[in-house]
Amino acid sequence: MQEQYTILVVDDEPDLQPLILQRMRRDIRAGRYHFVFAQNGIEALQKLSQDDGIDMVLSDINMPQMDGLTLLEQIPKVDPNVRSVIISAYGDMKNIRTAMNRGAFDFVTKPIDFEDLKVTIGRTLRHMAEWREALLARDKLVVLQNELSVARQMQQSILPTQFPQSPGYSVYGKMEAARNVGGDFYEVLPFDDGQIGLAIADVSDKGVPAALFMMASRTLLKSIAMGQSDPGQVLGELNELLEEDNEEGMFVTLVYGVYDPSTRELTYANGGHNSPVVVHRDGTSELLPLTEGIALGVQPMLRYAQNTVQLSPGDRVVFYTDGVTEAMDGDGEQFGLERLSKLFESPAAPQDPESANLLVFDAVNTFVGDTPQSDDITCLTLSCSEA
Amino acid sequence: MTVTTERNGDVLIAKTEGRVDGTNAKDFQVLLEDAIDANETAVLLDLEQLSYISSAGLRVILLIAKSLRNQKAKFAACSLSAPIREIFEISGFDKIISIHDSQAEALAALR
Repeated sequence: MQEQYTILVVDDEPDLQPLILQRMRRDIRAGRYHFVFAQNGIEALQKLSQDDGIDMVLSDINMPQMDGLTLLEQIPKVDPNVRSVIISAYGDMKNIRTAMNRGAFDFVTKPIDFEDLKVTIGRTLRHMAEWREALLARDKLVVLQNELSVARQMQQSILPTQFPQSPGYSVYGKMEAARNVGGDFYEVLPFDDGQIGLAIADVSDKGVPAALFMMASRTLLKSIAMGQSDPGQVLGELNELLEEDNEEGMFVTLVYGVYDPSTRELTYANGGHNSPVVVHRDGTSELLPLTEGIALGVQPMLRYAQNTVQLSPGDRVVFYTDGVTEAMDGDGEQFGLERLSKLFESPAAPQDPESANLLVFDAVNTFVGDTPQSDDITCLTLSCSEA
Repeated sequence: MTVTTERNGDVLIAKTEGRVDGTNAKDFQVLLEDAIDANETAVLLDLEQLSYISSAGLRVILLIAKSLRNQKAKFAACSLSAPIREIFEISGFDKIISIHDSQAEALAALR
């Protein structure tokens, strides 16, 4: 069924009502238009506030009690979404301009040309319908944005913000999503035997699909790592689970390592992720050697090699996502690995992982300047000390 | 980002130019999917003019590779610049997609 529009006609002259009913009879009979009438502005406002089904107002200017120009000012207070068309004397530009400036949508002149009036009403109502659709779309968008911001809070709340303290090490991590929700994550898992599991990961693409895959990856990683201490095995099992039913071709790059503070050994496996940087006390640094792993979720039955490095007190291992190294400035230049290593060149570079992390985030933010953040930025730092 | 295609015998060559990131990865996917016929037997992605690719772009290449594998077609990439090759190497994609130094080398392998 098509929508019926209600039009309020405001005029003190008694002959307009029968004329409109007669000339618009086809539209009335077809159920397209329904007309209601008022004698002046005050009565019009009463009708508008009583009947919320009125879609547009067609009003004369000169009327007793409240004229059309005053009415135009009052209508938005009753219903801001009603559109008004005014009827003015031919050539009365002064009043027409005043009416338009007060928010009239259009005008017709006397004597009324009914063909012109039909076109004007049609145009006004089409505009009205589009306006309502836009309002609905805006409301939906607001709902969606609210949902996204809840999702953002949920996502941020599953990332560790309390970090285990131990005489042998300290650790700190942070993720800044480019959009409401992101595809990066980090994980810190303290084990009963004093070892600690550390992970950083980056899901392909960004936004909601990445966030869903991220949540699954993180939950699976956590449960696998709880029962399995070999990082290579953890990645292998995680890969199998992520690859199953992954029609969308999503994947996650991930480094998972286990640090033993009693031996200061870090055993890790890398599934297609940027190599973490090891910074030594004297400011020199190197990348953790790659373990030739493929991004997870891409292909089944993969074996992931692991590697062990010996760390020393004062060493910091900076895990990061490509949001750090591929952060771009206004000229399209990337932050790069070199800038990241240089941050820690000075022997005065921070030892504690929170300050080290802050140093990275500050440097990236300064580097990109006003350029909008295009990727999630995540950094997790492990700092080794005497046990 | 642009994708231009040409045929060399049975091989469809798709040349990608510019940047592929999260903002245009979907376009990249549509361009490639439109260019590739259902009965295609070999596709070569020439990435010589590709200046940057994000993980969203890698995902598209992965999807294309998977669907070509399903239709038993061959797939390869060639002429990657050093930074692009590094992205493929770090992510391990160089181990699941065959990569060649030049178009001639890739064409020889695809035949």
